[in-house]
Amino acid sequence: MIRAVRLSFSIGDFRLDQFNLEVAHGQYFVMLGPPGSGKTILLECLCGLARIASGQIYIDGKDVTNLEPRTRGIGYVPQDYALFPNLSVERNIGFGLRVRGYSRQVITSKVMQAAEMLGIVHLLKRSIYGLSGGEKQRVALARALVMQPKVLLLDEPVCALDEATRQDICAQLHSVQRQLGLTTIHVSHNLEETFSVADRAGILYQGNLQQVGSMNQLLREPRNEFVAHFMRCRNIFSGEVMAVKPADGSQPASTKFRAGGVDLVVPGKHKGQIKFIIRPENILLSGNPESGSVDNKLQVKLVRSRDCGNYIRIELNGPLNLVAHLSHAAFADLAAKPQSDLIAVLHPENIHVLPE
Amino acid sequence: MLKTEPKAPVKSWRSHLFAAAGFVFVIVFVAFVLLLIIADIFYIDSKAVLTVLTSRFIRHALWMSIWTSIMTVLLSLIFAIPIGFILSRFRFRGRFLVDTVVDLPIIFPPLVAGLTLLVFFSQTGFGKWIQEDLGIEFVFQPKGIVLCQFLVSASFAIRSAKTAFDDVDRRFENVALTLGCSQWGSFGRVSLPLAANGIIAGGILTWARAFGLFGPLIIFVGSFRGRTEVLSTTVFLEQSIGNLEVALAVALLMIVVALIALTIIHLVGGTVQVKL
Repeated sequence: MIRAVRLSFSIGDFRLDQFNLEVAHGQYFVMLGPPGSGKTILLECLCGLARIASGQIYIDGKDVTNLEPRTRGIGYVPQDYALFPNLSVERNIGFGLRVRGYSRQVITSKVMQAAEMLGIVHLLKRSIYGLSGGEKQRVALARALVMQPKVLLLDEPVCALDEATRQDICAQLHSVQRQLGLTTIHVSHNLEETFSVADRAGILYQGNLQQVGSMNQLLREPRNEFVAHFMRCRNIFSGEVMAVKPADGSQPASTKFRAGGVDLVVPGKHKGQIKFIIRPENILLSGNPESGSVDNKLQVKLVRSRDCGNYIRIELNGPLNLVAHLSHAAFADLAAKPQSDLIAVLHPENIHVLPE
Repeated sequence: MLKTEPKAPVKSWRSHLFAAAGFVFVIVFVAFVLLLIIADIFYIDSKAVLTVLTSRFIRHALWMSIWTSIMTVLLSLIFAIPIGFILSRFRFRGRFLVDTVVDLPIIFPPLVAGLTLLVFFSQTGFGKWIQEDLGIEFVFQPKGIVLCQFLVSASFAIRSAKTAFDDVDRRFENVALTLGCSQWGSFGRVSLPLAANGIIAGGILTWARAFGLFGPLIIFVGSFRGRTEVLSTTVFLEQSIGNLEVALAVALLMIVVALIALTIIHLVGGTVQVKL
């Protein structure tokens, strides 16, 4: 378990201010954020490579704030892996063990164990030069894991890899983490990567943690516009509350608000000006004006559609300019062409009002 | 079967011209240096060579040149490694001044360096205290040769060491710290081995500068036969008494020693595998 309590750190214009984070034992946590949001600095603060101005860091309940990096029990894999170029793969992996003064037999056995776990036994005698990105990543990971750290910190571990290797490495990271039950913080800016490994994730922006939760929560219930935008939601709109209907027996409370000249209904009680999002995959499209419920139906015109591989991205003009994602089959059934008139149905429960 | 050839970009005649233009300068420079040496070789006679090979004083000067220049390299590296690391890794008040002072001996006219040392040790209280009270004598002494060479050539070693440490990515050091190294350990196991090639290059420059040094030595330690004479001052002494052939033969001896030394350093430097 690792816990950061009210961490403060500043360098140049950047600052982490009163930063709190807790990652439970054995949890795989991914810190998401755009470049420059402070992810790397945060990792450096946690492993003691950057001295914090104030706050505390606890690892498994022990205060490590003033301990040197070597005594914190942290395994760190930096961006680009930082493999020692003058050492073979085997000596890179065994570096920390040699520093700690282990015997040659112990080093050989532990290095072999780590190499077997990561499938790099055949690379042990190789030089670092000539290894592929994925191989380097595995070597760097083995070098960190062989020290049996309490917490593993991974700084953009797969960002320089091609798509296929990235998927392989992510699967391996997840499996190794589960196998060892290792508390892990993985820094990334990539959503697909995060979905494939994270138990929980946080979104960092300008040194402030915007939201922490499961990926599903971050995706469906973003706390603010930045999180929604970062989670690739383009349907972010403003509206004004017209009426609030309190709960009555079987019916939960709901709010009617106006946005783009149309009235929409959303569950729960809200007031004043609101901002809301609609996930593009939650927009239902139909060519039939009678389809869907009475509430939340918008007349829209299809502007353009684009095949994005797994789905079709559709831009719609109407009272609200929406972006919708449809499966290939659903789009084929719709048989819509540019300038077709369509009905967009927004189920009330698919409209999420941003709390902030 | 396809023939494997070294990777090279497609070149037009303009690109070939570009390379050819570069090679013209290479050829002119190398030819110029070689011609000078060849001219020297043709000027000397067998008698001059025999004199150089049999003279006790010249043998002594050769030995002095070799050991003083090696001592200078060792002393320079002892200073260059920590200074280079500090200048590369630490930001402190006065760093710019230190950086400038480190480079100062490079632009000193060599004679001024000798004169400055002479004034310091013979005219200032502190210098006299070192020489007279501590009994460490430099003026007109073999130790003075090393000091003189150190003053004039250590800057090359320091500058090279700094550049070499600048080229070592700090992430290597950071990873070493998380893998159990202390600051000392990270320096000794990571920074130093990775900067070794640059430091060795600085050592070679320092040695070359020290081995051929002449001006400040004449002023600070003189050129006493059998005592403070080194090969560069032998050349001066021989030519000043009209033995031009012997002077040139000694100069060629210096070139041969330098070639042997550089070849050994390149061979050893090229095969050394630095292990952490």
